Formats: sequence, C-alpha cells, structure tokens
Amino acid sequence: MIGKKRDRGLDERLDLLGREIVRASAANETEAAAAADAPFLYTRVHSRINAEREQREEKERWFTMLAVAWRAVPTMALVAVFAVAMFLFTNFGTQSPAGAGYDTLLTSDAEVESVVFADNRTLSNDEVLATILSDDEQEAAR
Amino acid sequence: MDEMTDNSDPALRQQQPDSVAEKTALESSDVALVEGARGGDEAAFEELFNRHRRRVALIAGRFFRQREQIEEVVQESFTKAYFALNDFSNTQENSFAAWLARIAFNTCYDELRRLKRRPESTLSDVSEEEFASLSRHLSTEEAGRDVESALVSRDLATKLLSRLGPEDRLVLVMLDAEGLSVAEIAKLTGWSVPKVKVRAHRARAHLRRSLKRFL
Repeated sequence: MIGKKRDRGLDERLDLLGREIVRASAANETEAAAAADAPFLYTRVHSRINAEREQREEKERWFTMLAVAWRAVPTMALVAVFAVAMFLFTNFGTQSPAGAGYDTLLTSDAEVESVVFADNRTLSNDEVLATILSDDEQEAAR
Repeated sequence: MDEMTDNSDPALRQQQPDSVAEKTALESSDVALVEGARGGDEAAFEELFNRHRRRVALIAGRFFRQREQIEEVVQESFTKAYFALNDFSNTQENSFAAWLARIAFNTCYDELRRLKRRPESTLSDVSEEEFASLSRHLSTEEAGRDVESALVSRDLATKLLSRLGPEDRLVLVMLDAEGLSVAEIAKLTGWSVPKVKVRAHRARAHLRRSLKRFL
C-alpha cells in the first residue's frame, strides 16, 4: 500500500518534470524570431517554389508521354491485328496448286526472251554474200 | 484548432488582432491575398509570407532548436502552402492562419520522422554533469514543483525528448507547450480523438521511463 502510494507520487513528480522538460525544449522564441527574420528567406522560398514547379512540370511531362503511349498501345495492337488479318485473307484468296507459280514464271521468261531475240536477229553468211554480190553487179553495170 | 484564439503564447498574443472587426478585416484581407496568389500574383504571396512567417517559425521553434532547422521548416511549409492554395477554403473555423499552422505542424512532424531515422543525439549523449544535475533534481521532494528554478537546461530537455518517437513528441509539445486540447490536436493532425489520447498516455509513460533511469 505504502509502496504503491510512493510509486504514484514518483510518477506524478516525473510527469511534472516531463511537462517542464517539454516546455523547456519548446521555449525557443529567440531562435524562432531570428529564423523568421533571416535575410533572403523569401528569396529562398521563392527559388524553392520555382524548383518544385519545374520538378512537377517534368513529372507531368512524363505522365503525359506515358498517357499518350498507353493510349497508343491499343490502337497499334488493333492495326497489327488488322494487318495480319489482311495478309492471311489475301493469301487464302489467291492460293494456286503447288509448282504452278514456278511454271508460269519460266514460261513468261521464255516468251519475253523470244520476243527480244526476234527483234535483234543476226544476218546469215548467205545473206551477207548475196548483198556483196549484188553490190558488185550494180557497179559492173555502170 | 483556431490558432488565432490561442492565448498561451505571448508572442502569438501580440500578433492577434484586438477586436472581432479587426480580425474579420485581417482574415478577409488574407483571403484576398490568397485569391491573388492563386492567380499568379507573386507579391500577394510574398505579403502572406511576411504576415505569417513569424508564426510558422514559432511553431517550428517548438520542435527544433537550431536556426537552420527552423528556417528549413519555414521554407518547406510555405512551399507546401503555395502549391496547396487551391485546397484552401475560407470558412469561419478555418482561417488562413489555422490552415497554415496545420501545414507547419505536419511539416515539423515529417522532419521529426526524417530525423528519427538519423538520430542526432541519444540518451547516452547526456553529459556527466547533466546526469548528476538531473539525478539530484529527481531525488529531492521539491522536484516537479520547483522545477523551473532548478533550471532544466534546454540542451538536456532536447536530448531527453529526442528519445521519444515523432508522434509522441508531436502530441506532448502540442499539449504541454502549445496548450492545445485533445480535440484541437485531433483536428490539426487528422487523427481520431482516442488515438490522440492513447498517444499522449503512451508518450507520458515513455518519458517517465526515460527519467526513471536517472534515479
């Protein structure tokens, strides 16, 4: 009983001392006034505001870019799906038997070749001889 | 909390307007300046800064001893206030001064938490002389009642308080140094009233335990 009373008394004393300690620690008016009157304090606040604004704008710019990219993703995906679909659809519509494409290629090349060579045919030896002879006959007749 | 009605601090009392009409004029003027600052008027914000900087510095001075730390809190508080001007709505119970005080307290709390991660001084930093003085003080029956005359040094007080967590310290300073009620603290911090009570109880117990070591 006496021990409890003594403890309570001690706790009360410690609480009182604790309050005084808090007050003693918080009594700092002189330093606070000096800090409030510090030179260029507003200039520092102003520059901090500007720095913070720039930081926020930079962050905002990144967010805007991300938002644009995020919005572009479904669009690009849609375009890709459409392109694949178109490619598959075109292939299915014009598919021919195996080897047909190769034959067609060869035939068409041969035809082109023959046309080209038909236009540039060289003279035979007989034709050259006949031309020379006919030129000589004409000179003799003169 | 309405800081304008807090008469516990002489420095704050000096800044308070005398009549209700004067107070209303001051408040409406603050509101006009806030409107100006919202519209990008730098001069309006500078005027707000000049009006309230001492008040914010006083709040910071409750928690921090060094001038650099107080200046840091002042700068941070006004920077936060600048970017939060759009959130300020002037109502009867929410003056600009009270709104700014709330920002200042929260900034102090953030700074305390930051410092707690890198504690500057601990109980082991208490010097032999301080230890002897406190032990002598605690062992006398007059301890507590005549504590002011016993000259508990601010250095020692700060060292002892640095042992407490940021939340404990915030609550104790608001209760004992600012003289705020539990409801006012709850409003300022955004905590519930029971949480403030529990926190205050724990903080006192923690401080008691720290002091008992000197017995």
